[in-house]
Amino acid sequence: MTQQSVPMRPLEIRMPETSHDPAIDGVPEALSDKIEIRNLRFYYKKYEALKNINMKLHDKRVTAFIGPSGCGKSTMLRCLNRMYDLYPEQRATGEIIVDGRDILDPKIDLNLLRAKIGMVFQKPTPFPMSIFDNIAFGIRLYEKLPHSELMDRVESALRRAALWTEVKDKLKQSGLGLSGGQQQRLCIARAIAVKPEILLLDEPCSALDPISTQKVEELIAELKSDYCIIMVTHSMQQAARSSDYTAFMYLGELIEFSDTETVFTNPANKRTEDYITGRFG
Amino acid sequence: MPSDHIIKSYDEELTRLQNTLIAMGGLAEAQLASAIQAVVKRDSELAAEVVEGDVRVDQLEKEVEALVVRLLALRQPMARDLREIISALKIGADLERICDYSANVAKRSIALNQAPVVKPAFALPRMARLAQLLIKDVLDAYVHRDAEKAMRVWLGDEELDELYTSLFRELLTYMMEDPRSITAGTHLLFMAKNIERIGDHATNIAETIYFLINGTPLKETRPKRDRSSSSVVLAGPNGIISNESEPQ
Repeated sequence: MTQQSVPMRPLEIRMPETSHDPAIDGVPEALSDKIEIRNLRFYYKKYEALKNINMKLHDKRVTAFIGPSGCGKSTMLRCLNRMYDLYPEQRATGEIIVDGRDILDPKIDLNLLRAKIGMVFQKPTPFPMSIFDNIAFGIRLYEKLPHSELMDRVESALRRAALWTEVKDKLKQSGLGLSGGQQQRLCIARAIAVKPEILLLDEPCSALDPISTQKVEELIAELKSDYCIIMVTHSMQQAARSSDYTAFMYLGELIEFSDTETVFTNPANKRTEDYITGRFG
Repeated sequence: MPSDHIIKSYDEELTRLQNTLIAMGGLAEAQLASAIQAVVKRDSELAAEVVEGDVRVDQLEKEVEALVVRLLALRQPMARDLREIISALKIGADLERICDYSANVAKRSIALNQAPVVKPAFALPRMARLAQLLIKDVLDAYVHRDAEKAMRVWLGDEELDELYTSLFRELLTYMMEDPRSITAGTHLLFMAKNIERIGDHATNIAETIYFLINGTPLKETRPKRDRSSSSVVLAGPNGIISNESEPQ
């Protein structure tokens, strides 16, 4: 598909205003922008998958990306931790400023970047090793800690991921023996064990049963006080329940970006409305 | 009109909800028309039919409620769909109240027919015609999703309030002059109040339509001209004095 086939101008993008923060009830709190995306374009070979994205993502808040398949929301996540670097024919232009530094800069240390920006995938991907080592593996890559301290870090990550009470007696058993929902929380624990600042969640509940989904959503709600969380989801109900801000993407463009309540009750753009009410997609 | 969901049965359910509401609206118009006809023609049989007819409206309201609960539970509606469904529930409740008021007018007309005719009764049909027009227009505004028409209804209720205030004073004066008219006068007062309340519910529906179309509630305050609650009619040494203070 080419860019010419998308008659989508003019865009109506409403940037969330700092003064209206849905996550707090009337209590003024200065929101800081963790990530600022400027003129971001992304190409798979010659195909432009992201078309001039500009947006700011708040720290300590959950932002959900929604949109039909192929709209570019997963590509957006791949840009945020430079996952695409693994593939020579993929490239991004523009800027993604995290804490004042452009992470698209080729000089950025990717290992440090990915420690700062953790990612959890659609399907739980525990390593084929013990529950303890699943968490300790990432920590050992970046830090040399005495065992007792390492133990504390593993426990803390598992507690944070609301998994500790379920696994504390079987830390030496394989992570693959856990249920799907537990495996996904193990992956979240693994991601937060290396003390990231940003968490990217790519459809984190799409392979989970409803109870596990609720546990992960509850976890997201708890974690957002410490992280900038960015979530891609196909479930609009999940975006509505779990996020503070919602971005609707379509064919590589950011169509609407506003606080979640506005997007799901009174969206500004007809395409957003048609998508969330199940009229296309 | 909701249309074109990927899931066709969702459209069918929304259409059914809307059609049930339109049927209720038609019934509300007919009930008020018959109630007034019963008053004008002093037709107690017709009045009894109106009172019985209220059951049908109650049934339709229950249908609307059941459809709304079903849609909310099964479809998780968003944005405009959600407003359509919430609006249907609210409009259904308003229409049900409108029909209750019509039934009450009819019920009182049966009592009124047993008393001699009093002159101010002639003003009641005028109020009713205006109320009928408000209901008709607000239902048209709903069917055609016409926010401007809904707003005209919203403002139009002011005239009904004025008519009511004037009838209220007239009836009080009449009853003071001739205590034999108190039975009829009291029934007429309640009937007029019922019709005035019908106008209020029409404005509620107008506000709901505004919200349905625009996605934000109406922020303005409606002009109100019902001053009956602050009207005082007293017998003074030089005849009857009528006072009224501005509504608070």
